[in-house]
Amino acid sequence: MKHISILLSILCCISLLPAQTPEQMFKAAGSPVNPKVSVVWNRYYDHAGIAEICKKIAAAHPDLAKLESIGKSFQGRDLWCLTITDFKKGDAKRKPGMYIDGNIHSNEIQGAEFAMYTAWYLTESFADTKFIQELLADKVFYIIPTINPDGRDSYIHQPNSPNSPRSGLIPVDNDGDGLVNEDQYTDLDGDGNITLMRRKSPNGRFKIDPKDPRNMIQVGPDEKGDYELLGQEGMDKDGDGRVSEDGYAFEYDPNRDWGWGWQPNYIQNGAYKYPFSLPENRAVMEFVMKHPNIAAAQSFHNAGGMILRGPGGQEDVNTYNAADLQVYDAIGKKGEELLPGYKYLVVYKDLYSAYGGELDWFYAGRGIYTYSNELWTPYLMFMKDATRDPFDNSTYSFDRYLLFQDAFVPWKEFNHPQFGKIEIGGFKKNYTRAHPGFLLESDAHRNMAFSVYHCYSTPKLEVQEISKKELGDGLIEITAVIANERMMPTHSSQDLKNKIERPDYITLATSGKIIAGLQVENRDLNITKEQKNNPQTIEVPNIPGMGAVTVKWIVEGKADAKYTVSVDSKKGGTAEGAGSR
Amino acid sequence: MRKILSLLLGLLCCMAAIAQDYSPFTAQTERLQSLARMYPSLVTLKSLTKTQGGKDIWLLTIGTGNTASKPALAVVGGVEGNHLLGTELAIGFAENLLKGSGTDSIKNKLAKTTFYVFPNMSPDAMEQYFSKLKYERMGNATETDDDRDGRSGEDGFDDLDGNGKITLMRVESPIGEYKLHPDDPRVLIKADATKGEKGKYLLLSEGIDNDKDGSLNEDGEGGIAFNRNLTYKHNTFAPGAGDFPAGEKETRALLDFLFDAFNVYALVSFGSNNNLSAPVPYNPLLARERILAGYLEPDAKVNTIVSELYNKITAGKDAPRTSAAGGDLLSWGYFHYTRYSFSTPGWWVPKAKPDTAKKEKAFTVEDPVANYLRWAQQQGITNTFTEWKTIQHPDYPNQKVEVGGVDPFVLINPPYKMVVDIVKKHTDFLVKLSDLQPEIDLINLKTEKLSNGFTRVSVDLINKGGLSTHSKLGERSYFLKKLKVAVKTEKQELVGGRKITLLNSLDAAASQSFSWLIKGNGKISIEAGCPTAGTKTIDINL
Repeated sequence: MKHISILLSILCCISLLPAQTPEQMFKAAGSPVNPKVSVVWNRYYDHAGIAEICKKIAAAHPDLAKLESIGKSFQGRDLWCLTITDFKKGDAKRKPGMYIDGNIHSNEIQGAEFAMYTAWYLTESFADTKFIQELLADKVFYIIPTINPDGRDSYIHQPNSPNSPRSGLIPVDNDGDGLVNEDQYTDLDGDGNITLMRRKSPNGRFKIDPKDPRNMIQVGPDEKGDYELLGQEGMDKDGDGRVSEDGYAFEYDPNRDWGWGWQPNYIQNGAYKYPFSLPENRAVMEFVMKHPNIAAAQSFHNAGGMILRGPGGQEDVNTYNAADLQVYDAIGKKGEELLPGYKYLVVYKDLYSAYGGELDWFYAGRGIYTYSNELWTPYLMFMKDATRDPFDNSTYSFDRYLLFQDAFVPWKEFNHPQFGKIEIGGFKKNYTRAHPGFLLESDAHRNMAFSVYHCYSTPKLEVQEISKKELGDGLIEITAVIANERMMPTHSSQDLKNKIERPDYITLATSGKIIAGLQVENRDLNITKEQKNNPQTIEVPNIPGMGAVTVKWIVEGKADAKYTVSVDSKKGGTAEGAGSR
Repeated sequence: MRKILSLLLGLLCCMAAIAQDYSPFTAQTERLQSLARMYPSLVTLKSLTKTQGGKDIWLLTIGTGNTASKPALAVVGGVEGNHLLGTELAIGFAENLLKGSGTDSIKNKLAKTTFYVFPNMSPDAMEQYFSKLKYERMGNATETDDDRDGRSGEDGFDDLDGNGKITLMRVESPIGEYKLHPDDPRVLIKADATKGEKGKYLLLSEGIDNDKDGSLNEDGEGGIAFNRNLTYKHNTFAPGAGDFPAGEKETRALLDFLFDAFNVYALVSFGSNNNLSAPVPYNPLLARERILAGYLEPDAKVNTIVSELYNKITAGKDAPRTSAAGGDLLSWGYFHYTRYSFSTPGWWVPKAKPDTAKKEKAFTVEDPVANYLRWAQQQGITNTFTEWKTIQHPDYPNQKVEVGGVDPFVLINPPYKMVVDIVKKHTDFLVKLSDLQPEIDLINLKTEKLSNGFTRVSVDLINKGGLSTHSKLGERSYFLKKLKVAVKTEKQELVGGRKITLLNSLDAAASQSFSWLIKGNGKISIEAGCPTAGTKTIDINL
């Protein structure tokens, strides 16, 4: 255990030493040619490894990256968050924010590398990419590679299958017998992978696949089989007649623990005690509540190649109105273009109803446009549609011809205390859901590009026009137009409906006396609405995407005085403009 | 020293017994601490957390031995900040129970049952009763922006008549929906437009539209109300509910404790919701909804039985009907905690009969305030009504505005002298309810020698209690332990029968038979039970 982490840090140090001199390198388009922080992107990192990389990014780019721990996991690991922005331009806290996390499910590990790649790419490309410079001047990224570090390390360092554990590590009594974790998976052959158990049997319903002898397929209804499958490596340790029924593989689901539409575990399997009853999610919630500038969010899962949006529960269908769907669809469709093999889908409709999910809280609870990407799709193996179905041999072929059978534990005989003579074998835990090494960087890059597009679409406000008109008797009318140059409004429809975030403030600063303030509903026909209280700061409920709002003031003052108009929006950021003759 | 201390304690206790009014938080704490000192072998007092306002959320555990291993009844008071009686009932129950702890019946009770008493879940809000400005506050000290305009607490109540109480304000207005009560002109009731009645007054809470946003008193001290902050049908974003369920420290402290208290079989809380005077009826449609909205049939039956018990003991009549508003403890206790959950306000204003000597007649329009005023007069209660008085109001410069009305708190909290009797009845109820608790036993043990060293062991598992070991809904929750029957062998071999059987539940008075085939001699044991119904072990020598 310790040895591994020492080994890892040695490896990291080695990779830091430049193997080539800058003169020897030639830039490939769109990738940093000689990054300050050198990271190998065709492998995975445990929590300590992630911490190490994050620290290096923050140290190498002090004006672009800051690292903080937003809280601790159940077992006391730090939840590391990188804030990425151009700290020299503007106040980071007032820029529209893009939140990114990964690995909420323990075994869905590549989200952490994808998130970290995003931080790495933005910081390393900043110097020579104008688009990134402008992006980081306007926006801020909050990147938490893993919001479930206990589960991550458990997946990596403990015996597991590709599907375990999904849960975090708070011990739970799955079978309700009063004992906790008394019957976990058993790594019978001690190879660190929980694979399958099969046994020769005259009454078995499985046979060896003639196309690949490693694969087991079900026989037809009228066909005789010669093997039975006994499930995943394990035994009945507590003598209750069930195998591995109380382990940590699936206990609670961290993605059923969020504060919108939450339901208890008898309705929503995997729910824990109440929303944010898991310390990791609580820390994220507190972080989000402290950062009302977050306007967009992305969480990385695996697998299946999906760009998911809410709602998770059918009950919330009406939460998503047409204006919001337009934004969601535009970004989601762009995602399908950027991510070959990925489909833009809706959770409740295209997957299943899930209550208390993270994306539901981000959108419905906070008004933040949010996607969950299910990373990795079998499509990426041969760039054509494929499945994990045992009758579809792509998974085996890909392993055979591109991974050279590195992803499979060959069947081997084993003497089982309860099942007798059996064989153990199957895919390793790092295959079928996690990306194979050589595809990791390219898919990370594509998903990063999707996040960048998402972030780019958050509001960008501008004081577009300030005009003056003399009304006589020493009165001046000041009209200001505030435009939003991006697709997202400052308030999503859910936000508007529930007043989640306060209105946007448009303030006139002048030496004159402000007599009245009005929102202009139709400038041409002069339809207005007066705001009686505190007229110098007009509160507008929303500034629409690719649109504008108009306000005006009646001021007792001089026409040639200076009039400064500023806008202050929690999710939309700030802007200022001055008008004087 | 110790003697003096206990003397002093006794004195304090007497003082508490003759208290003339409800206890403020410091006095509540003293009463609890004195119980912990007087009954150290029966009581532990623990602070679960401190509220945003810095007040302890107390848990008083009453029982003997290993209290966590015995079936438990949870009792919760202060569910709503304006309900002082609820806290009084919870503390009073503990005091009464412990006072009787010398008797055999209570001694036996405490040998079998644990009581978890949470006296006050709304200590921040409840202090408003004792402060300079009295109003029925529900929210804790968490800062909230109730009208969600970006500013907090900018438009609270204003004591316009300077009497230290927030009452009502009536404004003469042609668009008003209220009119004077025909039998008592102090009271305003809604005009019934369908009967051609016209209103004459706007009826508002006492205050000024301080932020001139057109809404009155919409964003005062606010805070989050405990009984709106729980997870079942939480009214997310509504004032007092919070931006998500269980956001408050006191809410989480209670939930964290209870979810880990696998031994709790029922939860009784004191608050405005009432399923004890009248049980929640079984509604098959609601009970089948995906997001469960009605009691399952067996659980509705239990509610009926317990409600009958309650009415028999407390003899209360004419309780106002209630329906849970969401985010509340009563609903959480059943729908999310999946235990039997009961709630009662403990008291309500009785229906006042007209005093014929004063030529009073039955009310032509039923109204709780009119009824209260009549009842209060008969009881000799004075000074709980502020006569309407005209004031100048900045929001209605050209209209007649009067301030007055019935005092806050009096409609739901009885005069303190009535509390002793109410507490006594509710103590009786809680004790009788705990008599029904599920209890596991193993009976009819038989050992049949089938041949040398080969024995069939059979036994019946029964539930001697009046309640099922699990609510029907609880069978589906993983925050309840299964009923486990396990046979423990040493060197013997179990040839037939299961070593461990997990049952979802065992109904009241139900039984189930078990048998095992065992090869070998010597000692074996059979253990059966679950935290909500206790554990029974029998040793057998083969």
